[in-house]
Amino acid sequence: MKRRLSFSIGLLSSGLVAFQLVLMQILSISQWDHFAYMVISVAMLGFGASGTSLAFLKKHLIRRQAVCLPGFMLLTSASIMGILFMAGLVFGGFDAYLVFYEKKNLWGLVFSYFILFIPFFTGATAIGLSYIIYAKEIGKLYFADLTGSAAGGLLMLFLFWHFSPSALPCIIACLPLAAGLLLWSRKAKIPLAIMGAVTVILIIAGFLNPPEIPVSQYKSLSRTLLLPDAQVVEKTNSPYGELKRVEAPALRYAPGLSLTYSGTVPVREVLFNNGNWFGPLVPFDTTLTEHFLDYSTYALPFVLDKPGKVFVADAGSGLLASHALTHGAQKIIAVESNQAAVDMITRNATVPEKQLHFIVALSRNYLLTEDQYDLILLPECGSFGGNSGIRALEEQYLFTEESFSLMWKKLSPSGMIAATVWMDHPPRNSLKMLATMVQAAVSGGVAEPRDHIAAVRSWSTITFILKKNGITTEDVGKIRDFCLTRQFDPLLYPGITTTERENFNLLQDDSFFSAIDRILEPERETLYREYDFHIRPATDAKPYFSQFLRLDRISKMKEVFGSSSVPFLEVGYLILLVTLVQITLAAFLFIILPLVFKKVPGRKKAFPLVFFAAIGTGYMFAEIVLIRQFTLYLGHPLYAASAVLSGMLFFSGTGAALSGRLITNGKRFAALTVCIVLMLALLALGLHFLLRTGTGVPLIMKMIVSLMVIALPAFLMGMMFPSGIRALSLHHDGGLIPWAWAVNGSLSVISTALATVIAVEMGYPAVMWIAAAAYLVAGICTRSRTFSIFVS
Amino acid sequence: MSILSRITGFILLFLMWPVMSQDYARMRNNMVRDQIISRGITHRSTLQAMRKVERHLFVDKFLRSRAYDDNPLPIGYGQTISQPFIVAYMTSLIDPRAGDKILEIGTGSGYQAAVLAHITDSVYTIEIVKELGESAAKRLKDLGYNNIQVIIGDGYYGLPDQSPFDAIVVTAAAEHIPPPLIEQLREGGKMIIPVGSQFMVQNLVLVEKKKGRIITRNMMPVRFVPFTRKENPKD
Repeated sequence: MKRRLSFSIGLLSSGLVAFQLVLMQILSISQWDHFAYMVISVAMLGFGASGTSLAFLKKHLIRRQAVCLPGFMLLTSASIMGILFMAGLVFGGFDAYLVFYEKKNLWGLVFSYFILFIPFFTGATAIGLSYIIYAKEIGKLYFADLTGSAAGGLLMLFLFWHFSPSALPCIIACLPLAAGLLLWSRKAKIPLAIMGAVTVILIIAGFLNPPEIPVSQYKSLSRTLLLPDAQVVEKTNSPYGELKRVEAPALRYAPGLSLTYSGTVPVREVLFNNGNWFGPLVPFDTTLTEHFLDYSTYALPFVLDKPGKVFVADAGSGLLASHALTHGAQKIIAVESNQAAVDMITRNATVPEKQLHFIVALSRNYLLTEDQYDLILLPECGSFGGNSGIRALEEQYLFTEESFSLMWKKLSPSGMIAATVWMDHPPRNSLKMLATMVQAAVSGGVAEPRDHIAAVRSWSTITFILKKNGITTEDVGKIRDFCLTRQFDPLLYPGITTTERENFNLLQDDSFFSAIDRILEPERETLYREYDFHIRPATDAKPYFSQFLRLDRISKMKEVFGSSSVPFLEVGYLILLVTLVQITLAAFLFIILPLVFKKVPGRKKAFPLVFFAAIGTGYMFAEIVLIRQFTLYLGHPLYAASAVLSGMLFFSGTGAALSGRLITNGKRFAALTVCIVLMLALLALGLHFLLRTGTGVPLIMKMIVSLMVIALPAFLMGMMFPSGIRALSLHHDGGLIPWAWAVNGSLSVISTALATVIAVEMGYPAVMWIAAAAYLVAGICTRSRTFSIFVS
Repeated sequence: MSILSRITGFILLFLMWPVMSQDYARMRNNMVRDQIISRGITHRSTLQAMRKVERHLFVDKFLRSRAYDDNPLPIGYGQTISQPFIVAYMTSLIDPRAGDKILEIGTGSGYQAAVLAHITDSVYTIEIVKELGESAAKRLKDLGYNNIQVIIGDGYYGLPDQSPFDAIVVTAAAEHIPPPLIEQLREGGKMIIPVGSQFMVQNLVLVEKKKGRIITRNMMPVRFVPFTRKENPKD
């Protein structure tokens, strides 16, 4: 039975993790990524709420364990299918864009929370119940739980390639179904048979007729499909998202086109990933000598020079690579991390293999493998109209101080870095881009960055150039001519005068120019401190280039732009803050508050509860830092994150399985906590350094280093939870276990959002220090009487 | 719904109609005073047009009570009816006059076209989404706007047969300005384009064609002055 139970718990956990990943994908397609994050975090509170329900119903459920344990697993499976069949209401019942405008949408969002909460609640109740019943076997069960979760994540890496998001819930629902059937008991055959049969019917119905996932009418794809004769002509699925190729006779793309352009803007097919604009499909024609981007500010680097070797970072659909090709570049390395997109591009366009090489990797890391480039082209920053903040919480390691310093080193003696940003109001992207370039130049030993930077401005875009050997008088002449013929305005070059800056594109005041000039002065720090947005360059420790919002200036933003407009100004970070507040409130309302009305067994129960809160927080904080920092180190966002997460869960599971044998007395428990605190403190101090120095080694070495770094802390941290539960099981008939489960679950979810807030405000090392502090608190708690099992 | 309740509803609507109409008129006047004049728009014909056009008839029935609120409202198909202030600001920036021929790209609900039609003699408006275009055409016809011509098609090409235009209003933000539209703008004419999220128009670009030069001006309806410096407007 115990072996079956362990296997069953493993299956259930893998199903829950897999369903969480599918939900993220579906919500990203249907709505914004941020809302996906917000909805999921609340749904995950099901783990905490299951603890609360167990505290109330423990005896009742234990008495009926024959039906309850498999029954909750079957309910998990059925509710996953139920959500799929209610997709229209759950994913389409609210529109992310209208939540700030219409109450109807707000209620739709709340409804989605409650529905999505159900499978996590039932699944976690089954896991929690098994922990209570088999508390002495907690090590093995926790091992099964964690390794099952790891397997669920890895399974999805495979399934995302082969199935559409609407078909995946049917496959995933089979996991908790199998888990429930494994625990089949004759004592409860009728209710279990009914539940099992209903679930199987739902799964078959879902397979035969998978429902459509509704998509917000405000997503780029929805609006494009409204164009006459627009149609999706190709579709693929991958862990990166649902990629669609769309054609329409009215689909044209020419970002920031000069108003002097009198030709025809060609109709293009366009790629959309998860319903978001990915890029236009362009021909890679070596015979062409002119490109429509020649009539945009993107042409600036080609005005100054004819680069031989070009690096296109985050190449997307290859637009900038095709531009470089028409300017006779001999070798173009176009790096893009989305494998499915690269496959689709190379299937639909003839790539001249001699000149153009598409590489699937993280741009930042690939830079380490090649020698030098004449031109490094960066992807455009921000979005049209400056609706920034969309990527506020995305780690953009390409746009950090360290990354620009690396690019600077990789430039040939006359090489350039070029970056184009959309004009935004208030100015943010442009100022931060310039600040980052200035910092790179200063770090590269340049005394006067002003002599190395040039920029031109159109009615909608600005292109910046950072040139290694400086901007020459000849360059200035070329820039002036270029601006005159295209009716652009020069923004920066050595010796630029105020009157030169506004010939064709007039601004309402000179505050923008003033900020630009101040960034070039040695006292730029004063501007960074005083400006209403974060424009100080991002770093690897705080890699959030697009996070501009300053919490101390929100009231001013509300005053200037109105409270209903502020969310659209800086939506990403605000959503995170709202998420944090709402899950904290939800945790209090639905988990902590009900427990207040129930008598907690025993005395001095605060210590064990603080213990489980502390290890819930500490583990999540450490896990988040390790995953995000190793993503950069390993160079592949998806597989790196999966490898690190799976490795962590596996080693923690192993620690849990061995905890019963290793943690047998109070001294060992104390030593365990001391070891964890020391290891996390070491990681807080040295992880960044370790990862920076080792980025150039082969991938296999990196994998070994990663696992070595992760293995020991994960192994040790994995021992804490089962050791604590084992101790609690000896007091008051394990009455505190449901509480521990509730508190640990709630804090784990809250910590996910909280860790990101701290990372944004203070950086990853701070998050790791807090993780260490949390384990220190847990260690202090173990000295309480409740943990007397360990006291000789 | 029973027959009795339908009859009761009809009678109530009949009795309340004059009161509701007066109410909307009052809301319109308040909108012009509190949202438009207070933000510095003094263009007389724009203000008059904004007082006349019954905005509540351009939104969904369920949103009528909010039609005169100080924000954009959804009209379906991923589109919105712009915030009243933005409509007024865009109209005042192109400075339309009686006798002008104006082209609008992106009809949407038809509200902007209706405002323009109160000032000028002929308004051409192109909508690419068929359903939106048809419903706007019907609405404008029902409301008696005979000087507005709604065309369903791709606004990229403009209307070469009717060009040149004294002004062009592009109501949907676009990452490039179609070259045919620049061509169809009369010498000395003005074009206005919103830039940014439709739920928060941060910026408007005014394009002017003068002696072969095309000048753009960033016109920010909401002025943002950083803490770091004092306001220094040029105009």
